[in-house]
This record gives sequence, structure tokens and C-alpha cells, in this order.
Amino acid sequence: MKKFLLIALLLVAAPAWLNAADAPKKVIAITGGRLLTVSHGIIENGVLVIADGKIAAVGEAGKVNLPAGAEIVDAHGLTVYPGLIDPESNFGLTEISADENSNDLAEPSDEIMPHMHVADAFHAETELIPVARLNGITNAVVAPATNDSIAGQDIFIQMYGADRDHMILGRDVALAMNYGADQRRRGGRGKSEYPSTRMGLITQLRQTFLDVQDYEARRDAAAKKDDKSFKRDLKLEALIPYLKGERPVVIGVYEAYDVEVIMGLAQEFHLKVILNHVTHSQEILDKIAVWKVPVIVGSIYDFPLANERYDAVFTLPAELAKRGVKIAISSADAGGPASSHSARNLPYAAGFAVAYGLPYDEALKAITLNVAEMFGFGDTLGSLDVGKTANLVLANGDPLDVRTDVKQVYIQGVAVPMVSRQTKLRDEYSK
Amino acid sequence: MHPRLPFRRAARACCLFTGAVLAAASFALMAGAQQSPPTDLVFKNATVMTASHGTIEHGAVWVHAGKIAGVGATVDAPATATVVDATGLWLTPGIIDPHSHSALDGDVNEATSPVTPSMHMIDAFDNRDKALYQALAGGVTTELLLHGSANMIGGQAVVIKNKFGLDRDAMLFPNAHGSIKFASGENPKRLYGSRDQLPSTRMGNFEVMRMAFEDAKAYMATWDAYNAKVAKGDKDAAAPKRDLKLEALADVLRGKLYVQIHCYRADEFLTEEAIAKEYGYKIRAFHHALEMYKVADKIAADQTAIATFADWWGYKDEAWDAIPWNAVMSMRKGVKVALKSDSNDHIRRLNQEAGKMVHYGGATEDEAIRMVTLNPAWIIGVDDHTGSIDVGKDADLVLWNRDPLSTYARAQKVYIDGDLFFDSSLPGLGTTHFSGVMHDAGGFGSDDEGDGQ
Repeated sequence: MKKFLLIALLLVAAPAWLNAADAPKKVIAITGGRLLTVSHGIIENGVLVIADGKIAAVGEAGKVNLPAGAEIVDAHGLTVYPGLIDPESNFGLTEISADENSNDLAEPSDEIMPHMHVADAFHAETELIPVARLNGITNAVVAPATNDSIAGQDIFIQMYGADRDHMILGRDVALAMNYGADQRRRGGRGKSEYPSTRMGLITQLRQTFLDVQDYEARRDAAAKKDDKSFKRDLKLEALIPYLKGERPVVIGVYEAYDVEVIMGLAQEFHLKVILNHVTHSQEILDKIAVWKVPVIVGSIYDFPLANERYDAVFTLPAELAKRGVKIAISSADAGGPASSHSARNLPYAAGFAVAYGLPYDEALKAITLNVAEMFGFGDTLGSLDVGKTANLVLANGDPLDVRTDVKQVYIQGVAVPMVSRQTKLRDEYSK
Repeated sequence: MHPRLPFRRAARACCLFTGAVLAAASFALMAGAQQSPPTDLVFKNATVMTASHGTIEHGAVWVHAGKIAGVGATVDAPATATVVDATGLWLTPGIIDPHSHSALDGDVNEATSPVTPSMHMIDAFDNRDKALYQALAGGVTTELLLHGSANMIGGQAVVIKNKFGLDRDAMLFPNAHGSIKFASGENPKRLYGSRDQLPSTRMGNFEVMRMAFEDAKAYMATWDAYNAKVAKGDKDAAAPKRDLKLEALADVLRGKLYVQIHCYRADEFLTEEAIAKEYGYKIRAFHHALEMYKVADKIAADQTAIATFADWWGYKDEAWDAIPWNAVMSMRKGVKVALKSDSNDHIRRLNQEAGKMVHYGGATEDEAIRMVTLNPAWIIGVDDHTGSIDVGKDADLVLWNRDPLSTYARAQKVYIDGDLFFDSSLPGLGTTHFSGVMHDAGGFGSDDEGDGQ
């Protein structure tokens, strides 16, 4: 009986998804809330106007005109902030972690897989997205898992929409790279397949980048001669924009000595680097600052080594920000057994960084504006500014506190139904 | 099986840091370690979250000889007492984790038979594991170290006080009640099924248990017959062979061990309770218990508690119906609810997991803090000694810089039996009794560790 009811609920919910497809033309004014703008401070008694799915006005009460006919949303007692953006997730690439049929996380047949496009596997209807959205996450980078040295190309998504095409805001927005002990998996050291060591991994990467440069020259020459017999190599071609520095390369790396090696290679080929993790790189933080690369730091919950102080990783976001490094914080491992199932904990990871010295404003930026800027969406997302997409959250308190309850999420100006598979189960068993 | 976090194994040539840390640690040792704790200790002007009788603003707690001697707006401590000015700070009972696999050097599962009740986790306990230190820094003072979930009937737990730096025996919780770990569902059937052994289904799982208890009953009857002969003066009666496995199962049937069951699904809670009734033992707690919200009223009647996750879900099929409101919904139906870690990561911040209960279901702060103190103490069976700030209990206390239910709280000082074991203001590690080198078992510290999958 209960199962039938659940199915019925799902059927009822379906049209709401479809309606969300078109950003509403209606005008909404959110009044009386505490606005955390991220870009220009806090407005205690603020007004935010949404029109055509965008932020049309932001300011203090009394200084912003309420358009005639606007739907008024009373936000007194609520905090209003831009939708959170997760810089590394696997939304739509997994459903039940232990069920391999539901996983499209990585293609481990080779270390060099730049031609794997996350967009091809992204399952927009995953149950994980509504669960995370309910805690205020409105956008995310979806990246492949970390098996490969070059694992594929990320997408940038919006967490609500009619279908995949509506939800993917950017295809192939970044290249996912990884370097360290975990990638030398070809049986590991002492096994017979190349590469089995980190020397092998780096040499393989360097040769690949040289092959790309060679391929590009031959391709261009063939184009000039209008040589129709030239065969495209999708793998090498995929890397061309990254070797030209046109798009960012996100490099997952943990240990200081590995960071130095992979950064050497990245600089040799002028890659536009975003470092990811660096959780055991405390002794080279000044160097990272000199490189002027942004860092997705964490997981903040990564373990210190034996005999290291308990907060050696907890303090890392603060230590990087103090040195002027632009940081982001991701949900990867944000407190749970499987990363994106626990993505709803993203704001708490940022809050934990505050507990260990990160200024509050920096923490909020690390899960909003900084992420948007790193991945090329700084003009449209990440802060409460006029002209940006109206992705915002209303909560009953501080967004970074575990006790806070999100009351409403807007994506493209649409008040998203605050429903997930989990709320349906809750409601069904609360009757 | 939990997918592994990419947490790095730390068995590696060490970095520049170690020297400095060791030097700092020995400084800390000189600064505070060798002193015995003061006989009388008073915390003044703290926000005291008692876990048993509400929160006292600007409250005081008096510790005498390692026990709580007074708690209230004021206390009658002697003038000679050492005073800790806790103005602006929060004082709670020590955090208690009723489901940990820390400090076992990876020996979590004796996954060679689905019935291994004579395994004792104390035999694997490594008191120098860094996970203990990291948990201590998160305010954890007591842990139940459990066997894993590979076997329907696993091994017997050890209860520790997290007196990191003391020797192994000094870390054991004195006279703690025994507990035994059972499991059910996916893990046993997956493991033994993959070896073409019984059990490979849930039918097999439960039948393995019933067969084991039939063995135990026969064994007990053999001994009863022998004892009866001896009582009658039969000098020729031959004693049966002692069998450690059957002895342990007999202890379950005799009610000598608290039964702690790894169990996810609503139907399996009901089956487990039915088997317990059939064989005459009680289930102390279901662990994980992610679907308890579906049958909480029934389980409440059986007085079985749960040790659950705040918000974990989706990592395997039997975790697909998990909802973060489970704990509070179950509590409202009368089930005693504790939160637990099953993880070397989450054990460091169980206070935040409790804070989430305010968010998911509207627990009061009092109810939330109880989920990581007094309620897990009950599950372990040490609630007469610890788990709340009450006169006569062990002085296991944590001083926090902020409300411990917020994201921003840090444990500043951790006391066990009135003795300071961690002080974040000290340079280096912040430990007061530890010197030397920590061990690192690696891994995530979960149920499935070492089950060969």
C-alpha cells in the first residue's frame, strides 16, 4: 500500500519538473530578509527583486522600488544568500554507490582519458540532486572519479530543470586530472604494466602533451591542404584547448612532493591550473601562493598523519586564504560514506573551516562566488548582484551552521518544490 | 560496503613537520603531563549542558577525586579547589561513541566464518592508534570498539575510556558490561555468498543464527546434565569439553552479553526481535538502523535502542530508504536514539552530527546532546558511570568554545575521570599524557574493514 502511495506521489510530482523548464516571467520581491550578498557585504533589512529569472534589484528596504504586481515573499527572520556551488561532485554519475550498474564514475581502462565527456553520462533525474538542493546547493561541477591521470572533462550544472539540456550550463568546462600514489594502479609497483610508478605517470603525461602538440600541427597542416584523409584522434584533440590554456585543468593531488612535481609539468605546458585537495601540503603553502593558482581545498576532513596535530587539515583553508590564495571548498568527502550523497553537507565543511580560522566571508565565497569564477560563471552566478541568475536560498539562520533549516530554494527565479525522495518517505511515515 | 574515501594512508616517509611536532609534544609533556590531577576542580560560570537535567546558564561543576561532586548554579567546593574560569564556554559530558572500529589495526572482521562469538576485540586493541588521539581532540571520552559486520554473529566488544597516552589496560572502561556484535543484511550474505558458502541470502543469514543457537542450547543442556550429576554426588561424571564458541553463544542466551546488531531494514528489525524472543535474549541496540522510522513504535515496545547515522544514505541498497529525520522520528515514537560514527572521520565531530538533529526534525538542544552522551552510554551499559553531568558520575567532561551543537564548536579541554587529557591551547599535539609515536592503521575505520571485499 505504501509503495503505491509513493508511486502516486512521484507521478504527481512529475509535472512540476516539466513546468520548471521555462524560467518564469513573473516578478518576485523578497523583502525583509538578511541578505548575504557575498560580493558587497550584508544588507540587514534587504529587498531582492527577481524578474525573468534574474536578479533585477538588490538593496536596503525603502531604497529599492517594489515593481507593481510583484509577488511579495516575506523573508523577515530569514537569511537570503546566493545558491551554493559545489566545485567537485559526481551528481548524475552514481545512484547507489555499491551498485555498480548505477555507477558511471570513471573509465579506468587507461590513465589518459581526456575524451571522456561527463555530459554523456550525466543522469539528470538522479535522486541525489533534490536531496542536495534542499540544503541550498543550486549549481555544481560534475567530475569523473579519480582513477585516471586524466579522467575526462567536467560539466557545470544547475540543480533544477526539465531535462539534461536545461540543467547542463556548460559542457567540457574543465579537465579532470589526478596525480599521486592512487593513479599508479596498473598493478602498482613491481607489476608488469607501464606505468607502475609516479615516474611512469609523469613521463606518460609529458609524452601525451607532446603528442597533442604534434597532432595539432599535423591537423592544421592537413586542414590547410584540405587533406580529407586526415583521421581525427579524439583523445589528443580533446586536450588541445587545455594545452592552449583556454580552459582550466583541475589537478587532484594531496602530498607536497606530488604537488611540486605536477606543477612543474603544468608550468612546462602552460596549463591553467586549479589545484584540488592539497591536504598534506602544509609545508609548501607559500609556494602555492606564489604560483597564483586557485585551490579547491580539502576535504577538510582528510586525516592528519600520525603525530601531526589534530587540526593540521582543519586549518588548511584558513592558511591558504591568509596567503591570498583563492579557495573553494567541495563536497567531495564532505562528511559521509559516499561523496555526492553527502553533498548537502557542503556548507558545514565551509563552516568547519571558519571554526579553524577562515574568515566567514571567505568561507561563503569558497562555496559560491569563487567557484563560479574558477569555472567561468563569475558573471552570472555566485553572488546577489543585479543581472545575475536568480539562484538563491532562504534559510532560518546562518547557512554554515548544521542547525539551520533551508526554507526555500530559487533556481532561475523558480521557487523549487522543497521535495526529495527523502521528504516523501518522511511524510509518508509521519502520517 | 562503503566506498572508500580517498583518505590517504599515512604510512610513509615523514615530512619536515614531525621533528617540530615531537619537540612540541615533549614540551607539552613537561608543561603538564606528569602532575596528578587536582583532588578538587571547579568549573565556574559555564553553560553546563547536563544531558540529564537540562542546561544551566552560568553554572558550576565540582569534581572531587575524579567524580562529579556537585553541579548547579553554585557548588560547595572547598576553597582549595583548582578553579577553571569557563566564562563564555560550554561544558558537556564527554562524547560517547557506541559504534567505533578505531584502534584495531584493521583487525575488524574475523571474516572466516559467519559465527565467531569467541573473538574478543580487546585482543586487537592498539592503544597508540592516531584515531584515538583525533577522537579525543573531538571530545570523545568513551568508545565501544565493535567487531565488524561480516558475520551474523561477530565478536565481543571492548569498552574504552579514551585516556590517550596511558597503557592499554589503563584505557579499558573498568567493569564495563560485555557486548557482542551481530550483523544482518547485505554484508554477511555478500561476503559468504561470494565464496559459495552459506549464507548467501537473508534466508541463509537468519538460519545461520538459529542453527548457532540450537548448537548453544544443546551445549548448555549437556553441561546442565553434567552439573546435575555432580550435584547428586556422581564422582564418575565426565565433564563435557569446554567450547569457546558455544560458551559465548550460551552467554548470549543467558543474557550475559548485550546484543548489538548491525541492521538496516525495517523487516530485519522485526525478524531479529522475533528470533531474540524465540531464543530468550534481548537486543540492546540496532546499529545503523536507517529504516527505524518505519517501525519505530514496534521496536520501542521491545526497549531496543538504536545507534544511527545522522544523514548517511545511498551507499548501498539497504541504505536507499535512509532519511535524515530517522533519528528524531524514531525518538518521538519512544525509541532511545544515539548517534555514532562507524568512522575515524565522523568520530571527531559527533557533536555536529547531534547539531543536525535540530535541523532534521527539530530536536531540542537537550535531546540532541543526549544522542551523543547519555543515550550511547545506555547502549554500552555505562550510563551509571558516565554520559551526563550528575553527582557521583565519572568526571568525563568537555569544555567547548561555542555551543557544541554548532558547526563552529571546538573542544578546548577534555577531562576523563577528572584528569585533563587534551588541551588545545598547548603547543604541539595538545595531549597531556602522550609521548612517543602514534600508530596509523590507515583506512576509514568502518564496519566493512578487512572483510575481504
